[in-house]
Amino acid sequence: MRYSPVVCLFAVTVALAADTPDPAAVKRGKDKFVASCGFCHGNDGTGSRAPDLVRSPLLSHDKAGETIGPIIRNGKPDDGMPAFPLTDAQLSDVAAFLHSQALAALRSNRVPGDYPAEKLRTGNAAAGKAYFEGAGGCTKCHSVSGDLASIGRKYAPIMLQGRILYPAGAKVNVTVTLPSGEKVEGTLVNKDEFTVALHDAAGWYHSYSLKTVKAEVHDPLEAHRAMLYKYTDQDVHNLFTYLESIK
Amino acid sequence: MKLLSSALIFTATLAAQGLDPALIAKPARDMWPTYNGDYSGRRYSTLDQINASNVKSLTLGWTFEAKSVPIKSTPLLVNGVFYFTVPDHVYAIDARTGRQIWHYQYPPNQGDHIGQRGVGMYKDWLFFESPDAHLVSLDAKDGHVRWTIELADEKLGYFSTMAPLVVRDHIIVGVSGDVTDIPGFLESIDPVTGKVQWRFYTEPKKGEPGSETWPKTGDAIEHGGGMTWMTGTYDPETNLVYWGTGNPNPVLVGEGRPGDNLYTCSIVAVNADSGKLAWYFQPSPHDVHDWDAVETPVLFDAEFKGKPRKLLAQASRNGYFFIVDRTNGEHLLTSPFIETNWAAGIDEQGRPVRRVDKDPTPDGALVEPSSNGSTNWMAPSYDPQTKMFYVIARRNFGEFYKTAEGKAEGWGGRDRGLFADSVLQAINIQDGKIAWSHELGNGEAHGGILTTAGHILLTADAGNNVLILDPASGKTLWHFTSNNRMVSCPMTYELDGVQYILTAIGDIVYVWRLPEA
Repeated sequence: MRYSPVVCLFAVTVALAADTPDPAAVKRGKDKFVASCGFCHGNDGTGSRAPDLVRSPLLSHDKAGETIGPIIRNGKPDDGMPAFPLTDAQLSDVAAFLHSQALAALRSNRVPGDYPAEKLRTGNAAAGKAYFEGAGGCTKCHSVSGDLASIGRKYAPIMLQGRILYPAGAKVNVTVTLPSGEKVEGTLVNKDEFTVALHDAAGWYHSYSLKTVKAEVHDPLEAHRAMLYKYTDQDVHNLFTYLESIK
Repeated sequence: MKLLSSALIFTATLAAQGLDPALIAKPARDMWPTYNGDYSGRRYSTLDQINASNVKSLTLGWTFEAKSVPIKSTPLLVNGVFYFTVPDHVYAIDARTGRQIWHYQYPPNQGDHIGQRGVGMYKDWLFFESPDAHLVSLDAKDGHVRWTIELADEKLGYFSTMAPLVVRDHIIVGVSGDVTDIPGFLESIDPVTGKVQWRFYTEPKKGEPGSETWPKTGDAIEHGGGMTWMTGTYDPETNLVYWGTGNPNPVLVGEGRPGDNLYTCSIVAVNADSGKLAWYFQPSPHDVHDWDAVETPVLFDAEFKGKPRKLLAQASRNGYFFIVDRTNGEHLLTSPFIETNWAAGIDEQGRPVRRVDKDPTPDGALVEPSSNGSTNWMAPSYDPQTKMFYVIARRNFGEFYKTAEGKAEGWGGRDRGLFADSVLQAINIQDGKIAWSHELGNGEAHGGILTTAGHILLTADAGNNVLILDPASGKTLWHFTSNNRMVSCPMTYELDGVQYILTAIGDIVYVWRLPEA
């Protein structure tokens, strides 16, 4: 339901998981959990013949094993859960593991910056090359020996795929025609229904009322926007697989 | 002595500043008694002192600076006093001058502070939802706390942002959630005691009607989402409360929850006294893109295909405009209000048919709209003069990734937003066709819409301009450029014979009027 991912991530992380568990404890806890609990609760704690623990109210209220500990040690005989005589250290590790799983679920609302290239490299590089040089029309502006040389090394894979689709932030040029007929060229700062603002070649800022001037925007990303309506997902994956191979 | 007691009685009469709930159904010209101004959610005002012929001479009446995060709430106006909010804060402001009367601050808490949409009012009391999912009742006179109750457990990931809806002696509240897999609900609270009168869960219990739209085995239905985070509408004649519900969970991964997943991404009609479901309509069956159907279910009566009907319309986050008969949920119209690429057609029930190949994948699926949606919480408006429905629409794309391996929990993936721009769409209610469009610029516009009998439409562009347009043509009649974006919904009222228009821009409230004669 989220609207503003940045705000949300921060707030929910603060509210629901103040501390990132110690990785060594998580590792020990995972081994212990898999050995003792995984058979019923699933090796990742998300439930199998016994309930999901990762999104259980019990774990949500637990900080470091103080709530789940007694249940592990005493079992739940009515539900068929035996007691597990874990030491304090083992309990703490198992709690660390389960909290790390819960934190991973909380953080699942973003694609990590180090998202693996293998997951994205599902296309066909030759088909991507053909599309790049043909139907995609990419060579009208780009070249893999020019502006895109070594592009596969320049960005993290997830960033590269995003930038293939829409490389936001490119400079937009604007030509303003004054009432005298004189033209002012520059880099667009802002344009809305009422005004246009630009930086000229010397770096000076100008703004004009659109009641008095005409403004023609030359946005290099216009072609990228038009392509969003045309790509098939296969085109995107082929293009990525091709361009990611340009090392 | 006698004189003195008369004076006391007179003073006491003046001091009564409460809101009789019976007045909400027919708000006076000097009132704005609910989040949407009335029960219908039309955001149409009958005031016409400010109108298309004189709007060019609008001038500033007063301003109020909250010195806070941006205001997303719409103020209530009762007896010359505004009540509005930002997360953790309620303000009472003199509607004639902008002078602050009192300010209430909720205690520090770990809840989600993403937004706050306003208060509800019953007699002398205000009702305010906190970031950590509590309901606070305040004395409207001075902002003193009457009581605070927990609506839902913050530790499970619940929070709250919406403005309660008051129906007779029911304070109807919804809850928010996002990244944890928790069930949504709508609840009615007793204004006197704070006790729960009824609770409607947005997922049925196993075995109940609707549960067949979830897996029979496993726990998916118990973790189903369906948050009730926007204020709904109400029709006194049907005695039904109409409410939109949010996405199912896990948000982007549907494999663990095959089926339509009722009553998520739905419009539900619930009896105001019992909380019993009368009917439902689901704009996004089995959503996997975070397209909450919480946008205002707008109520109006109009001739539709030659027959007078009681209608409910929603421009939904998934890019489609829907009209149903609000007495029984009969589907009447489905039509896209902006281009999208996720649906293969419309089924016999009027629901868009999801293209499975646009579900999130590990290597990414290019989908229009992004998870932010073709529209969102910004208020739409229905103008009975033009018989058009207006919505802030966005052209936006997201590349949707399923990142979860194994059983997905929480979101299980995310889209990365690409390009976005915004446009105001005027929708003809007879056929859903776009009557006119007014471009609002690059980025996502976040202002709501207000229409009035003065033949004006208020909104904001995606930049820093507040706009007044001709609702018949979309032509710009007036604008105001500020230093910030309007991320709230405009409202209007009349006091002492003068019509005012209120726009909250950033954390500043600007109130507009015609120049004094």
